[in-house]
Amino acid sequence: MDAQTVAGDAAESMLCLLLARPENVPEMNMLVMKKILKSGCTPLVVTVNKPFKVLVKLYEKEGISPDSYYVIDAVTQYSGGVCTPGSRVKYVTNPSNLTDLGIAITELLKKMPVGKKCIMFDSVSMLLIHIPSVTASKFLHFVVTKLKLTDVSGVFLCAEKGLDPVILSQMSSFVDHITDFEKIGADTCIL
Amino acid sequence: MPEKKAGLIEGATVEESGSVDLFKTVFERIQTAILVIDPAAHRIVDVNPLMESLTGFSRDQLLGSTCHGFVCPARFGECPVTDLHRDTLNIEREIINANGKRVPVLKTVAKAEIDGREYLVESFTDITDHKRAEERQLALIAYLSESILRARKPLEIMQTDFQQLAGQVKSGDYDAEEIRMQLQVHANNLRQILTNIEDLQKKALEGRSDEIPPEFRDFFKRT
Repeated sequence: MDAQTVAGDAAESMLCLLLARPENVPEMNMLVMKKILKSGCTPLVVTVNKPFKVLVKLYEKEGISPDSYYVIDAVTQYSGGVCTPGSRVKYVTNPSNLTDLGIAITELLKKMPVGKKCIMFDSVSMLLIHIPSVTASKFLHFVVTKLKLTDVSGVFLCAEKGLDPVILSQMSSFVDHITDFEKIGADTCIL
Repeated sequence: MPEKKAGLIEGATVEESGSVDLFKTVFERIQTAILVIDPAAHRIVDVNPLMESLTGFSRDQLLGSTCHGFVCPARFGECPVTDLHRDTLNIEREIINANGKRVPVLKTVAKAEIDGREYLVESFTDITDHKRAEERQLALIAYLSESILRARKPLEIMQTDFQQLAGQVKSGDYDAEEIRMQLQVHANNLRQILTNIEDLQKKALEGRSDEIPPEFRDFFKRT
Protein backbone atom coordinates (compact mmCIF):
# COMPACT_ATOMS: atom_id res chain seq x y z
CA MET A 1 0.00 0.00 0.00
CA ASP A 2 1.39 3.45 -0.80
CA ALA A 3 1.60 6.35 1.62
CA GLN A 4 -1.28 8.16 -0.04
CA THR A 5 -3.66 5.24 0.42
CA VAL A 6 -2.63 4.90 4.04
CA ALA A 7 -3.56 8.52 4.61
CA GLY A 8 -7.23 7.71 4.14
CA ASP A 9 -10.11 9.69 5.56
CA ALA A 10 -9.63 10.48 9.23
CA ALA A 11 -13.39 10.82 9.66
CA GLU A 12 -13.98 7.10 9.18
CA SER A 13 -12.90 4.39 11.57
CA MET A 14 -10.18 2.17 10.17
CA LEU A 15 -8.51 -1.03 11.22
CA CYS A 16 -4.90 -1.56 10.36
CA LEU A 17 -2.29 -4.22 10.99
CA LEU A 18 1.02 -2.41 11.05
CA LEU A 19 4.16 -4.46 10.49
CA ALA A 20 7.71 -3.39 11.34
CA ARG A 21 11.10 -4.95 11.85
CA PRO A 22 11.33 -6.11 15.49
CA GLU A 23 13.93 -3.46 16.35
CA ASN A 24 11.53 -0.78 15.07
CA VAL A 25 8.48 -1.87 17.09
CA PRO A 26 9.12 0.60 20.02
CA GLU A 27 9.63 3.42 17.50
CA MET A 28 6.47 2.34 15.69
CA ASN A 29 4.54 2.62 18.97
CA MET A 30 5.67 6.24 19.47
CA LEU A 31 5.00 7.29 15.91
CA VAL A 32 1.56 5.68 15.85
CA MET A 33 0.63 7.37 19.15
CA LYS A 34 1.60 10.76 17.74
CA LYS A 35 -0.32 10.14 14.55
CA ILE A 36 -3.43 9.02 16.42
CA LEU A 37 -3.32 12.19 18.54
CA LYS A 38 -2.63 14.34 15.49
CA SER A 39 -5.69 12.90 13.77
CA GLY A 40 -7.88 14.04 16.66
CA CYS A 41 -8.54 10.57 18.05
CA THR A 42 -8.21 9.60 21.70
CA PRO A 43 -5.85 6.63 21.92
CA LEU A 44 -6.47 3.54 24.03
CA VAL A 45 -3.18 1.68 24.33
CA VAL A 46 -3.35 -2.04 25.06
CA THR A 47 0.08 -3.00 26.30
CA VAL A 48 1.26 -6.57 26.74
CA ASN A 49 4.90 -5.57 27.03
CA LYS A 50 5.53 -2.34 28.96
CA PRO A 51 4.10 -1.58 32.42
CA PHE A 52 1.87 1.52 32.62
CA LYS A 53 4.34 3.49 34.77
CA VAL A 54 7.13 2.95 32.27
CA LEU A 55 4.88 3.69 29.31
CA VAL A 56 3.89 7.04 30.86
CA LYS A 57 7.55 8.02 31.19
CA LEU A 58 8.40 6.90 27.67
CA TYR A 59 5.50 8.91 26.25
CA GLU A 60 6.33 11.96 28.39
CA LYS A 61 9.86 11.96 26.98
CA GLU A 62 8.25 12.19 23.54
CA GLY A 63 6.04 15.08 24.65
CA ILE A 64 2.86 13.00 24.97
CA SER A 65 0.82 14.08 27.99
CA PRO A 66 -0.64 11.36 30.27
CA ASP A 67 -3.97 13.19 30.03
CA SER A 68 -4.22 12.49 26.32
CA TYR A 69 -4.55 8.69 26.31
CA TYR A 70 -5.95 5.66 28.11
CA VAL A 71 -4.13 2.40 28.85
CA ILE A 72 -5.00 -1.24 29.43
CA ASP A 73 -1.97 -2.69 31.18
CA ALA A 74 -1.61 -6.48 31.10
CA VAL A 75 1.92 -6.65 32.53
CA THR A 76 2.25 -4.68 35.78
CA GLN A 77 0.56 -7.42 37.80
CA TYR A 78 2.38 -10.05 35.73
CA SER A 79 5.68 -8.45 36.83
CA GLY A 80 4.67 -8.34 40.49
CA GLY A 81 4.43 -4.55 40.41
CA VAL A 82 1.93 -2.34 42.20
CA CYS A 83 -1.15 -1.42 40.18
CA THR A 84 -1.60 2.23 40.99
CA PRO A 85 -5.29 3.03 40.38
CA GLY A 86 -6.12 5.76 37.91
CA SER A 87 -9.07 6.97 35.89
CA ARG A 88 -7.17 6.39 32.65
CA VAL A 89 -5.82 2.93 33.30
CA LYS A 90 -7.18 -0.56 33.75
CA TYR A 91 -5.09 -3.51 34.80
CA VAL A 92 -5.40 -7.10 33.67
CA THR A 93 -3.66 -9.89 35.60
CA ASN A 94 -1.58 -11.14 32.68
CA PRO A 95 -1.56 -11.08 28.87
CA SER A 96 -3.10 -14.55 28.58
CA ASN A 97 -6.23 -13.43 30.45
CA LEU A 98 -8.19 -12.70 27.29
CA THR A 99 -11.57 -12.62 29.03
CA ASP A 100 -10.51 -9.76 31.31
CA LEU A 101 -8.68 -8.09 28.45
CA GLY A 102 -11.89 -8.10 26.38
CA ILE A 103 -13.93 -6.77 29.31
CA ALA A 104 -11.35 -4.05 30.03
CA ILE A 105 -11.44 -2.91 26.40
CA THR A 106 -15.24 -2.70 26.45
CA GLU A 107 -15.34 -0.85 29.78
CA LEU A 108 -12.61 1.65 28.99
CA LEU A 109 -14.05 2.42 25.53
CA LYS A 110 -17.37 3.24 27.25
CA LYS A 111 -15.61 5.38 29.83
CA MET A 112 -13.66 7.39 27.27
CA PRO A 113 -15.14 10.74 26.27
CA VAL A 114 -17.40 10.92 23.24
CA GLY A 115 -15.48 11.45 20.02
CA LYS A 116 -13.10 9.58 17.79
CA LYS A 117 -11.30 6.75 19.52
CA CYS A 118 -8.51 4.49 18.41
CA ILE A 119 -7.08 1.37 20.00
CA MET A 120 -3.40 0.69 19.61
CA PHE A 121 -2.50 -2.94 20.38
CA ASP A 122 1.18 -3.34 21.30
CA SER A 123 1.86 -5.93 20.15
CA VAL A 124 0.40 -8.99 18.46
CA SER A 125 3.89 -10.54 18.39
CA MET A 126 4.31 -10.30 22.17
CA LEU A 127 0.79 -11.62 22.74
CA LEU A 128 1.90 -14.81 20.95
CA ILE A 129 4.23 -15.60 23.85
CA HIS A 130 1.17 -16.11 26.00
CA ILE A 131 -1.38 -17.74 23.71
CA PRO A 132 -1.28 -19.98 20.62
CA SER A 133 -1.58 -18.29 17.27
CA VAL A 134 -5.03 -19.80 16.64
CA THR A 135 -6.35 -18.31 19.91
CA ALA A 136 -4.67 -14.98 19.14
CA SER A 137 -6.34 -14.87 15.75
CA LYS A 138 -9.77 -15.57 17.29
CA PHE A 139 -9.23 -12.95 20.00
CA LEU A 140 -8.15 -10.31 17.50
CA HIS A 141 -11.18 -11.14 15.37
CA PHE A 142 -13.35 -10.60 18.46
CA VAL A 143 -11.68 -7.24 19.19
CA VAL A 144 -11.96 -6.11 15.57
CA THR A 145 -15.68 -7.00 15.48
CA LYS A 146 -16.21 -5.03 18.68
CA LEU A 147 -14.37 -2.03 17.23
CA LYS A 148 -16.34 -2.16 13.99
CA LEU A 149 -19.63 -2.25 15.89
CA THR A 150 -18.67 0.77 17.98
CA ASP A 151 -17.04 2.66 15.11
CA VAL A 152 -13.65 2.73 16.81
CA SER A 153 -10.40 2.62 14.85
CA GLY A 154 -7.67 0.13 15.64
CA VAL A 155 -3.98 -0.23 14.92
CA PHE A 156 -2.41 -3.60 15.68
CA LEU A 157 1.35 -3.50 15.92
CA CYS A 158 3.26 -6.59 14.90
CA ALA A 159 6.82 -7.59 14.08
CA GLU A 160 7.09 -8.27 10.35
CA LYS A 161 7.12 -11.98 9.50
CA GLY A 162 5.90 -12.43 13.07
CA LEU A 163 2.68 -13.95 11.80
CA ASP A 164 2.48 -17.12 9.81
CA PRO A 165 0.88 -16.87 6.37
CA VAL A 166 -2.31 -18.48 7.63
CA ILE A 167 -2.89 -15.93 10.42
CA LEU A 168 -1.83 -13.12 8.15
CA SER A 169 -4.39 -14.20 5.59
CA GLN A 170 -7.07 -14.51 8.31
CA MET A 171 -6.22 -11.07 9.68
CA SER A 172 -6.23 -9.56 6.22
CA SER A 173 -9.87 -10.61 5.98
CA PHE A 174 -10.90 -8.66 9.06
CA VAL A 175 -8.66 -5.56 9.04
CA ASP A 176 -8.90 -2.87 6.37
CA HIS A 177 -5.19 -2.64 5.66
CA ILE A 178 -1.97 -4.48 6.31
CA THR A 179 0.78 -1.91 6.13
CA ASP A 180 4.54 -2.03 6.25
CA PHE A 181 5.67 0.57 8.81
CA GLU A 182 9.03 1.14 7.10
CA LYS A 183 7.22 2.16 3.91
CA ILE A 184 5.08 4.81 5.58
CA GLY A 185 6.38 8.34 5.22
CA ALA A 186 6.93 10.39 8.38
CA ASP A 187 4.24 12.85 7.33
CA THR A 188 1.66 10.17 6.56
CA CYS A 189 -1.43 9.80 8.68
CA ILE A 190 -2.18 6.14 9.29
CA LEU A 191 -5.80 6.80 10.17
CA MET B 1 -24.40 -74.51 4.21
CA PRO B 2 -25.30 -71.65 1.84
CA GLU B 3 -24.09 -71.95 -1.73
CA LYS B 4 -21.05 -69.81 -2.56
CA LYS B 5 -21.81 -66.93 -4.88
CA ALA B 6 -20.18 -66.96 -8.31
CA GLY B 7 -18.38 -63.84 -9.55
CA LEU B 8 -18.12 -62.57 -13.09
CA ILE B 9 -14.96 -64.57 -13.77
CA GLU B 10 -16.35 -67.92 -12.63
CA GLY B 11 -19.16 -67.44 -15.13
CA ALA B 12 -16.82 -67.63 -18.12
CA THR B 13 -17.42 -70.24 -20.83
CA VAL B 14 -15.28 -73.40 -21.26
CA GLU B 15 -13.76 -72.00 -24.47
CA GLU B 16 -12.48 -69.02 -22.58
CA SER B 17 -11.07 -71.06 -19.71
CA GLY B 18 -7.35 -70.71 -20.69
CA SER B 19 -7.32 -66.96 -20.66
CA VAL B 20 -9.66 -66.97 -17.69
CA ASP B 21 -7.17 -69.03 -15.68
CA LEU B 22 -4.44 -66.52 -16.39
CA PHE B 23 -6.75 -63.58 -15.70
CA LYS B 24 -8.04 -65.23 -12.52
CA THR B 25 -4.51 -65.79 -11.23
CA VAL B 26 -3.60 -62.15 -11.91
CA PHE B 27 -6.91 -60.96 -10.43
CA GLU B 28 -6.32 -62.91 -7.23
CA ARG B 29 -2.61 -62.21 -6.81
CA ILE B 30 -2.39 -58.55 -7.82
CA GLN B 31 -1.54 -56.22 -4.92
CA THR B 32 -4.34 -53.82 -5.81
CA ALA B 33 -7.85 -54.24 -4.47
CA ILE B 34 -10.35 -54.59 -7.31
CA LEU B 35 -14.12 -54.28 -7.51
CA VAL B 36 -16.08 -54.98 -10.66
CA ILE B 37 -19.35 -53.06 -10.71
CA ASP B 38 -22.44 -53.32 -12.87
CA PRO B 39 -22.98 -49.59 -13.47
CA ALA B 40 -26.66 -49.90 -14.31
CA ALA B 41 -27.57 -51.43 -10.94
CA HIS B 42 -24.54 -50.15 -8.98
CA ARG B 43 -24.04 -53.71 -7.84
CA ILE B 44 -20.76 -55.42 -7.11
CA VAL B 45 -20.32 -58.33 -9.49
CA ASP B 46 -16.79 -59.39 -8.59
CA VAL B 47 -14.04 -58.66 -6.08
CA ASN B 48 -10.50 -59.91 -5.63
CA PRO B 49 -9.06 -61.17 -2.32
CA LEU B 50 -7.21 -57.92 -1.60
CA MET B 51 -10.54 -56.08 -1.71
CA GLU B 52 -11.79 -58.47 0.98
CA SER B 53 -8.81 -57.74 3.19
CA LEU B 54 -9.02 -53.97 2.51
CA THR B 55 -12.68 -53.74 3.43
CA GLY B 56 -12.91 -56.54 5.99
CA PHE B 57 -16.01 -57.82 4.13
CA SER B 58 -16.05 -61.36 2.75
CA ARG B 59 -16.46 -61.98 -0.94
CA ASP B 60 -19.96 -63.32 -0.25
CA GLN B 61 -20.90 -60.14 1.61
CA LEU B 62 -19.60 -57.98 -1.20
CA LEU B 63 -21.01 -59.78 -4.24
CA GLY B 64 -24.45 -58.50 -5.20
CA SER B 65 -24.27 -55.60 -2.76
CA THR B 66 -24.94 -52.04 -3.84
CA CYS B 67 -21.69 -50.11 -3.90
CA HIS B 68 -22.91 -46.69 -2.67
CA GLY B 69 -23.36 -46.41 1.05
CA PHE B 70 -21.60 -49.75 1.38
CA VAL B 71 -17.96 -49.48 0.38
CA CYS B 72 -18.37 -46.10 -1.30
CA PRO B 73 -19.28 -43.04 0.82
CA ALA B 74 -21.19 -41.45 -2.11
CA ARG B 75 -24.97 -41.36 -1.76
CA PHE B 76 -27.49 -42.77 -4.21
CA GLY B 77 -27.71 -40.56 -7.28
CA GLU B 78 -24.30 -39.03 -6.57
CA CYS B 79 -22.04 -41.72 -8.01
CA PRO B 80 -18.90 -39.82 -9.07
CA VAL B 81 -18.56 -42.01 -12.18
CA THR B 82 -22.05 -42.73 -13.50
CA ASP B 83 -23.98 -39.71 -12.15
CA LEU B 84 -21.38 -36.94 -11.89
CA HIS B 85 -19.29 -38.22 -14.83
CA ARG B 86 -15.98 -37.44 -13.17
CA ASP B 87 -12.71 -38.93 -14.33
CA THR B 88 -11.38 -41.18 -11.63
CA LEU B 89 -7.71 -41.83 -12.16
CA ASN B 90 -5.52 -42.25 -9.10
CA ILE B 91 -7.53 -39.83 -7.02
CA GLU B 92 -7.61 -39.81 -3.24
CA ARG B 93 -10.85 -41.21 -1.92
CA GLU B 94 -12.08 -43.13 1.09
CA ILE B 95 -13.81 -46.46 1.31
CA ILE B 96 -15.86 -47.66 4.24
CA ASN B 97 -14.59 -50.86 5.83
CA ALA B 98 -16.55 -53.51 7.75
CA ASN B 99 -16.02 -51.58 11.01
CA GLY B 100 -17.58 -48.47 9.47
CA LYS B 101 -14.18 -46.75 9.38
CA ARG B 102 -13.08 -44.74 6.38
CA VAL B 103 -9.89 -46.03 4.78
CA PRO B 104 -7.92 -43.59 2.58
CA VAL B 105 -7.25 -45.05 -0.87
CA LEU B 106 -6.04 -44.10 -4.30
CA LYS B 107 -8.90 -44.99 -6.61
CA THR B 108 -9.03 -45.55 -10.34
CA VAL B 109 -12.14 -46.45 -12.29
CA ALA B 110 -11.97 -47.82 -15.82
CA LYS B 111 -14.86 -48.83 -18.05
CA ALA B 112 -14.62 -52.31 -19.53
CA GLU B 113 -16.87 -54.25 -21.88
CA ILE B 114 -17.25 -57.92 -21.01
CA ASP B 115 -19.55 -60.14 -23.06
CA GLY B 116 -21.14 -57.07 -24.63
CA ARG B 117 -21.98 -55.50 -21.30
CA GLU B 118 -20.33 -52.50 -19.75
CA TYR B 119 -18.72 -52.81 -16.34
CA LEU B 120 -16.72 -50.53 -14.11
CA VAL B 121 -13.40 -51.89 -12.95
CA GLU B 122 -12.50 -50.06 -9.80
CA SER B 123 -9.02 -50.45 -8.34
CA PHE B 124 -7.92 -49.28 -4.92
CA THR B 125 -4.52 -48.83 -3.28
CA ASP B 126 -4.51 -48.45 0.48
CA ILE B 127 -2.64 -45.23 1.35
CA THR B 128 -3.18 -45.33 5.12
CA ASP B 129 0.58 -45.42 5.84
CA HIS B 130 1.20 -42.63 3.36
CA LYS B 131 -1.52 -40.48 4.97
CA ARG B 132 -0.12 -41.20 8.42
CA ALA B 133 3.35 -40.08 7.27
CA GLU B 134 1.78 -36.99 5.66
CA GLU B 135 -0.02 -36.13 8.93
CA ARG B 136 3.25 -36.53 10.83
CA GLN B 137 5.03 -34.26 8.38
CA LEU B 138 2.21 -31.73 8.68
CA ALA B 139 2.46 -31.85 12.49
CA LEU B 140 6.23 -31.33 12.40
CA ILE B 141 5.97 -28.34 10.06
CA ALA B 142 3.01 -26.83 11.91
CA TYR B 143 4.65 -27.06 15.33
CA LEU B 144 8.02 -25.90 14.01
CA SER B 145 6.31 -22.92 12.40
CA GLU B 146 4.40 -22.15 15.62
CA SER B 147 7.63 -22.46 17.68
CA ILE B 148 9.39 -19.95 15.48
CA LEU B 149 6.39 -17.65 15.54
CA ARG B 150 6.03 -17.73 19.30
CA ALA B 151 9.74 -17.51 20.09
CA ARG B 152 11.84 -15.85 17.44
CA LYS B 153 9.99 -12.56 16.86
CA PRO B 154 9.20 -11.98 20.56
CA LEU B 155 12.88 -12.62 21.35
CA GLU B 156 13.91 -10.08 18.73
CA ILE B 157 11.55 -7.51 20.26
CA MET B 158 12.87 -8.36 23.72
CA GLN B 159 16.43 -7.83 22.51
CA THR B 160 15.49 -4.28 21.50
CA ASP B 161 13.73 -3.82 24.86
CA PHE B 162 16.86 -4.90 26.73
CA GLN B 163 18.87 -2.31 24.82
CA GLN B 164 16.23 0.29 25.72
CA LEU B 165 16.42 -0.89 29.35
CA ALA B 166 20.19 -0.43 29.38
CA GLY B 167 19.61 3.13 28.17
CA GLN B 168 17.00 3.71 30.89
CA VAL B 169 19.41 2.55 33.61
CA LYS B 170 22.13 4.79 32.23
CA SER B 171 19.82 7.80 32.01
CA GLY B 172 18.88 7.66 35.69
CA ASP B 173 15.34 8.79 34.77
CA TYR B 174 13.74 5.49 35.79
CA ASP B 175 13.50 4.27 39.36
CA ALA B 176 14.59 0.81 40.48
CA GLU B 177 11.02 -0.53 40.56
CA GLU B 178 10.36 0.54 36.97
CA ILE B 179 13.53 -1.25 35.82
CA ARG B 180 12.73 -4.31 37.97
CA MET B 181 9.20 -4.59 36.54
CA GLN B 182 10.48 -4.58 32.97
CA LEU B 183 13.18 -7.15 33.80
CA GLN B 184 10.60 -9.31 35.54
CA VAL B 185 8.24 -9.13 32.53
CA HIS B 186 11.06 -10.35 30.31
CA ALA B 187 12.12 -13.05 32.79
CA ASN B 188 8.52 -14.30 32.84
CA ASN B 189 8.32 -14.08 29.06
CA LEU B 190 11.53 -16.10 28.65
CA ARG B 191 10.17 -18.78 30.98
CA GLN B 192 6.92 -18.84 29.01
CA ILE B 193 8.78 -19.07 25.67
CA LEU B 194 10.76 -22.06 26.97
CA THR B 195 7.53 -23.73 28.15
CA ASN B 196 5.95 -23.07 24.75
CA ILE B 197 8.92 -24.59 22.91
CA GLU B 198 8.87 -27.67 25.16
CA ASP B 199 5.11 -28.12 24.65
CA LEU B 200 5.34 -27.68 20.91
CA GLN B 201 8.34 -30.00 20.66
CA LYS B 202 6.41 -32.66 22.60
CA LYS B 203 3.36 -32.32 20.34
CA ALA B 204 5.55 -32.44 17.22
CA LEU B 205 7.33 -35.58 18.40
CA GLU B 206 4.02 -37.22 19.21
CA GLY B 207 2.86 -36.26 15.71
CA ARG B 208 -0.30 -34.76 17.15
CA SER B 209 -2.07 -33.30 14.19
CA ASP B 210 -5.51 -33.06 15.82
CA GLU B 211 -4.86 -29.52 17.07
CA ILE B 212 -3.73 -28.18 13.72
CA PRO B 213 -6.32 -25.71 12.43
CA PRO B 214 -7.99 -26.55 9.09
CA GLU B 215 -6.66 -23.28 7.65
CA PHE B 216 -3.09 -24.49 8.18
CA ARG B 217 -3.95 -27.83 6.55
CA ASP B 218 -5.34 -26.02 3.50
CA PHE B 219 -2.25 -23.82 3.32
CA PHE B 220 0.02 -26.87 3.66
CA LYS B 221 -1.83 -28.67 0.85
CA ARG B 222 -1.68 -25.61 -1.40
CA THR B 223 2.06 -25.19 -0.89
